[in-house]
Amino acid sequence: MKPNFKREVSNWGNFPVVEKEIRSEDSLAKIQEFVRTNHEIIARGNGRCYGDASLAENIFSTKRLNKFISFDRLNGIIECESGVLLSDVLEVIIPQGYFLFVTPGTKFITVGGAIASDVHGKNHHMEGCFSEYVLEFSLLNENSEVLICSPTQNSEKFWATIGGMGLSGIILSAKFKLKNIETSYIRQESIKAENLDEIFQLFDESETWTYNVAWIDCLQKGENLGRSILMRGEHAFKHQLPKNLQNNPLNMEKKISPTVPFYFPGFVLNNLAVKLFNFFYFKKQTKKVVKNIVHYETFFYPLDIVNHWNRIYGKKGFIQYQMVLPKSNGKEGMKKILETIAESGNGSFLAVLKLFGKHNEAAYNSFPFEGYTLALDFKINSKLKKLVESLDQIVEQYGGRIYLTKDSMSKPSLVNYLKNVNNSKFVSLQSKRIHNG
Amino acid sequence: MIVLGSNSEVAQAFVEKLLKSGEKHSKIFLFTSNRETTEKFAKHLEVKYVQQSEIIDLDLLISIDYSSLEHINSNLLFCATGFLGMGTEEGLYDNRNTQNIIDVNYAKLVPVLNYFADKMERKRTGTMIVLSSVAGDRGRQSNFIYGSAKAGLTAYLSGLRNYLFDKKVHVLTIKPGFMATKMTEGFPLNPKLTATPKQAADGIYQAYKNKRNTAYVLPIWGFIMLIIRNIPEFIFKKLKL
Repeated sequence: MKPNFKREVSNWGNFPVVEKEIRSEDSLAKIQEFVRTNHEIIARGNGRCYGDASLAENIFSTKRLNKFISFDRLNGIIECESGVLLSDVLEVIIPQGYFLFVTPGTKFITVGGAIASDVHGKNHHMEGCFSEYVLEFSLLNENSEVLICSPTQNSEKFWATIGGMGLSGIILSAKFKLKNIETSYIRQESIKAENLDEIFQLFDESETWTYNVAWIDCLQKGENLGRSILMRGEHAFKHQLPKNLQNNPLNMEKKISPTVPFYFPGFVLNNLAVKLFNFFYFKKQTKKVVKNIVHYETFFYPLDIVNHWNRIYGKKGFIQYQMVLPKSNGKEGMKKILETIAESGNGSFLAVLKLFGKHNEAAYNSFPFEGYTLALDFKINSKLKKLVESLDQIVEQYGGRIYLTKDSMSKPSLVNYLKNVNNSKFVSLQSKRIHNG
Repeated sequence: MIVLGSNSEVAQAFVEKLLKSGEKHSKIFLFTSNRETTEKFAKHLEVKYVQQSEIIDLDLLISIDYSSLEHINSNLLFCATGFLGMGTEEGLYDNRNTQNIIDVNYAKLVPVLNYFADKMERKRTGTMIVLSSVAGDRGRQSNFIYGSAKAGLTAYLSGLRNYLFDKKVHVLTIKPGFMATKMTEGFPLNPKLTATPKQAADGIYQAYKNKRNTAYVLPIWGFIMLIIRNIPEFIFKKLKL
């Protein structure tokens, strides 16, 4: 038997699917050799980006770089290899009274991926991106050298790698700061908004809340355009918990997660289903405002409860379309985007709206900038390309851009905003697609 | 706890499974032929489980200084030491390859296992979990040197179990089938017959808790090997397995 490292591989959207070589090593010498002897390499973590960002001719999987290195329990600083999942980090830090400063909507991404995508969360307006809390990381560059990068050491490489989509090298390990928590629960308020104006107003009013996010029913038209529910939250203090939870305030919930066992047939998730889901989701909350205490898992990672939820979109897969529009004209642009989607009849099962705060000037490759961001899921179908084209046009007109981590078919001019990452060693299918046309 | 072959992904997954399930060990002794990688694992255990460990160099191809092992005592031993070597096509007549396979999988390993069996026997308590292989169930043309060494190991473990039974020491023989590890990366293994290190660790943990004598990592391998063992020799010798 001769080793054959070629495999069918796709990321979370199951689109595109390609047959490429995947290698995984845990010894530095072997990783260095792999980089020396191959070209067109990209590092891949848990494959939770949606499109083709972590696909390349030669994929280096960081799944064996899964060890913790150190944990300064006094100062809340943790160091681990790049393939460690955020879910593993949470398992270690929560019982010690710490939480991640920034987390995206899934905990099943790797630390390396969090840096390469410079992920943002529901607290971007207050606490910025993941990179704000990264103290240093080690990077294997195109010459197979290991560089320690921080804002003061190899700072050029540091900032190029933040949000750099793996194009500057392979992140091997990282050290980052954690935030103190008293409990593993969130004090949450859900507020219904009947239309776009109301939800924007709610966002403005909620500026002082640490976490803000709105679920939006994007099939509504006319008066109801932008009908949504805003969820805002704060880490709960111990005294705010109900008595029965106070005994174990840093509780890690152990739920048995259901798994979607196979790819659903294409017809299951049709527009009617999306409409019904959105209708019931909105009507489920009968009061205008609901205040409650929820576990962090429910607040931050509602979708993680179902393993392989991506399979409900069928074998052909789906895309996630996430854009940001500037604050100055973003409301108007967002309205146009929602109108275009409603008219196209191409419903999004899950649409999430957020207000980004000011971006860190130093992190020039990061996706977020101050303004409005909307993330939408679309099932792959024959009409999708056209819809993406019209959405791209609006985003361009309003001076916005697309999140590279989720992109798989947007206009190159909306996704080629990365600087200082070009070298022939680290190339992804995404970077090739963007640069070739 | 004593771990032989600490760089094995299955061994590491098993240690984590054990610590996750709340078993406490004052110290884990990590035997390894690759100190650098094992140091990483030791730090990992310290961060993730606040677990102390000690790294001990053990290269079965070099002579072993038993005096340095005197302080090591535990009532649980996990052995994942193994060396696949080259298969028949490339390696059959390469005597060095043959010698290494026999040494690591049997000849030099058995004295080490005996050393710790003796300690457990004297304390009249303990469990030894040792990874053998389905390759030891019947010699097949593709890798029978490895298979024969593992067959020897399986027979040794069977005898040891028998001998230690009334001395209150339990021996568990694990026969993994295909596993998705560094050792097999890139090989076209059928995913239905292949266990991830985590799956393997879960299965081994169950077998350990249930005090099983021998266990396959994935139950389907028990069935496959039942068939393979029972094919009459006059047919078997003509098969390309």
